[in-house]
Amino acid sequence: MSEYLLKINDLSASYGDEDIVKEVSLCMQPGEVVCIVGESGSGKSTLIKAIHGMSGVGITGGTIVFDDADITALPARDRRKLMGTGIGLIPQDPQASFNPIRKLDVQFREALAGHDLPYDEDRIDEMLRKIGLQHGKAVLKNRPFELSGGMNQRIAIAAAMLFEPRLLLCDEATSALDVTTAGAVVEELLKIRETNGTSILLVTHHLGIARKMADNIGIMKDGRIIEYGNTEKIFDSPQNEYTKKLIRDVPKLKK
Amino acid sequence: MKKQIAKRIAELIIILIVLSFLTFLLMYLAPGDPAEKRLSSQGVAVTKEVLQAEQERMGLLRPFMVRYGEWLGGIMHGDWGVSFKDDMPVAPKLVSGLRNTTILAFSSLILALIISIPLGIASAVKKNSVLDHIVRILSFIGNALPNFLISVLLMYFLCIVLNLFPVVADGSLQGLCLPALSLAIPMAGRFTRQIRTEVMEQLDQEYVTGLRTRGVREKDILIHNVFHNASGHIFTIIALQIGTLMGGSVVIETIFRWPGIGKLVMDSINARDYPTIMGFVLIMGTIYVVINFISDILYHVLDPRVEY
Amino acid sequence: MKKRKAKLRKRVIIAAVFAVILVLIALFSGVLAPNDPYATNSSLIRQAPSAAYLFGTDNLGRCVLSRVLIGARTTIASTFFLVAVSFLIGITIGMLCGFYGGIVDDILMRIADLMLAFPQMVVAIAVAGILGGGLGGAMIALGITMWTSFARLARSHTLSIRNEPYITAARLQGKSGPQIMLTHIMPNILEPVLINALTQIGTTMIGISGLSFLGLGVVAPQAEWGSMISEARAYIQIAPWAVLFPAAATVITIVVFNYLGDAVMEYRKAE
Repeated sequence: MSEYLLKINDLSASYGDEDIVKEVSLCMQPGEVVCIVGESGSGKSTLIKAIHGMSGVGITGGTIVFDDADITALPARDRRKLMGTGIGLIPQDPQASFNPIRKLDVQFREALAGHDLPYDEDRIDEMLRKIGLQHGKAVLKNRPFELSGGMNQRIAIAAAMLFEPRLLLCDEATSALDVTTAGAVVEELLKIRETNGTSILLVTHHLGIARKMADNIGIMKDGRIIEYGNTEKIFDSPQNEYTKKLIRDVPKLKK
Repeated sequence: MKKQIAKRIAELIIILIVLSFLTFLLMYLAPGDPAEKRLSSQGVAVTKEVLQAEQERMGLLRPFMVRYGEWLGGIMHGDWGVSFKDDMPVAPKLVSGLRNTTILAFSSLILALIISIPLGIASAVKKNSVLDHIVRILSFIGNALPNFLISVLLMYFLCIVLNLFPVVADGSLQGLCLPALSLAIPMAGRFTRQIRTEVMEQLDQEYVTGLRTRGVREKDILIHNVFHNASGHIFTIIALQIGTLMGGSVVIETIFRWPGIGKLVMDSINARDYPTIMGFVLIMGTIYVVINFISDILYHVLDPRVEY
Repeated sequence: MKKRKAKLRKRVIIAAVFAVILVLIALFSGVLAPNDPYATNSSLIRQAPSAAYLFGTDNLGRCVLSRVLIGARTTIASTFFLVAVSFLIGITIGMLCGFYGGIVDDILMRIADLMLAFPQMVVAIAVAGILGGGLGGAMIALGITMWTSFARLARSHTLSIRNEPYITAARLQGKSGPQIMLTHIMPNILEPVLINALTQIGTTMIGISGLSFLGLGVVAPQAEWGSMISEARAYIQIAPWAVLFPAAATVITIVVFNYLGDAVMEYRKAE
């Protein structure tokens, strides 16, 4: 067994025309939190999509190895078993996560049944409470279209955490949330890493979250990771001009 | 919501009243005099005196609105008039015809759905595969085939060349097969195309990816989510096809001599038996309007985001 | 994207070529028909296809090929005529409703709604039956409900452009309503409504030949595919060719026009 949970080698990916992700390499140990920071259009979301292998992203080069198994071109059937329990995803768009017109409890039941897990309402309720959603059981009787975007996002986060995946992918997971809730989510993510040893790969344009959570940070620009290192090093002594500019811009925004 | 349903029911009633009025108007405007039609369809020699007496007896000399009101009142009380052809009340004939037509229409609808739902879903999921291309070509041709043509071809190949079925449908189960199949084939063609489109549209929705990232079984995604979400549209499509199905059943029943309301109306048209034709139009129109009303409500139940 | 567009364009052209060929056959069927389609010959009853009679002969010894050709004219011409008339009525009503609005719009659109509330073929059968058959009756019967889809489409497109600056400018120039409708609105809404007309051809053909099949359309001995099939199915065991050739002609024609309609729609959508 190798020391890495996820090993990405020279990965290139596209939606059909031009490569959006270009020759990206990345390794993650169990329990490690990595943040990929970049502006929109830098290819960071596409990187997440390429790893979970859906949404029409085509891998044009390189390999993805998860838990010593090559998952670059995994057949749909095997991929399904891996998703949720092996690799979890918290999507960017809360609408993307659930069927908008079916009750949530049924959808949770279905997802759990997909991994032969029992439906335990108390556990879901507890998970929802942890990320700041009270009355979880009542909420589960609703359909997503009846709830707000922020609520849906929290439910999606709870759903991803419920499966205790070994690797959790977060695609701008907090962008739909207000500051307090985002804080609670970050806390909970860190707690999950603590208790379950979950690795977290987080994509964000928010440097503050990256600084708070990440062990290592990668700066992504035009499809490439242009600088990679541990969090302190990136913030204290950035090498790349672009990284310097990104870090310099943060306080300006806060004024 | 209750208020909206009440509004829709009020609309429904207005449409039904207009329907009855138009039906009556149609017969009123029909060329020729009903009394003369009635006499000649019964083989009575028409003289001026006989005609006038008959017009008097049938109440044709009174004002239009009075006659309409009387006719509508009769309809409400189950009196649908008397056939010109044999002086028998129209209602029981219509009822028994309608029973047989319902059996035929229902079987063909089920048959069409049994064919089109799996094919439509499969070809949407395996978009641009060989299967998809075959299904698309078949459904395209099925859609282009008029009912009468299918039934004649089926009759020729299955009854005469292969000798599998009786030529005349006598109301038995075996006799039901060919007429139901003739109605089902073009419908299945249409449904398959539309179900394919709807399912493809749903598959493009982001929630499908969301469910997949959670490892939901593909079977559950397709049936309980994609098809579930598409079913509102599919119901509307089916409801809109009921009209075509009604027209088609007239043709098919005539060809196979299926004792339904369609065959009854063709016999009545040939005999110029107006009360029966009126009954037919009124019944078919009512069923169509009511089914579309129900499908609207159902649409809302299946996709609660949709307003009435 | 461009490649797809070129492919769709090719489809439209191929379908259009076939459609034009069919229309030409219908137009020149009088010249193309090898025999007199109405000449009966008691010594040549129900002859199998041969060199002299490529499609065989029917119950009255008439040449099936000639009748299929002449029938093309009846079916295609009546379909085109019906679609064209419904189109003209529909687009006129639709433009009037969309442009002027108000009470006329309300009334006409209510009528259109009502028409849509009735099953088309049922209305057609009843009306054609009461009118006592004949091609004219069948066309009226189908036309009663057909204009509505054109009217609705034309109305909604008119509504979407009626407040455009060039319309307002024309109004300020003092042009009259009908003038504006003819010179400014019509050219701009013509295309979607025409495409809709194209997609209606197949269904209309099915309607006309269906009514003729029931004996509510074309009257014997005039050649029309639906009525030919209806006549010949009585002796299909002895002379299947008398049914199969007009049947094939019907299917091919409907397939070609449906395909053309689909191809044009997809081509437009791809833009």
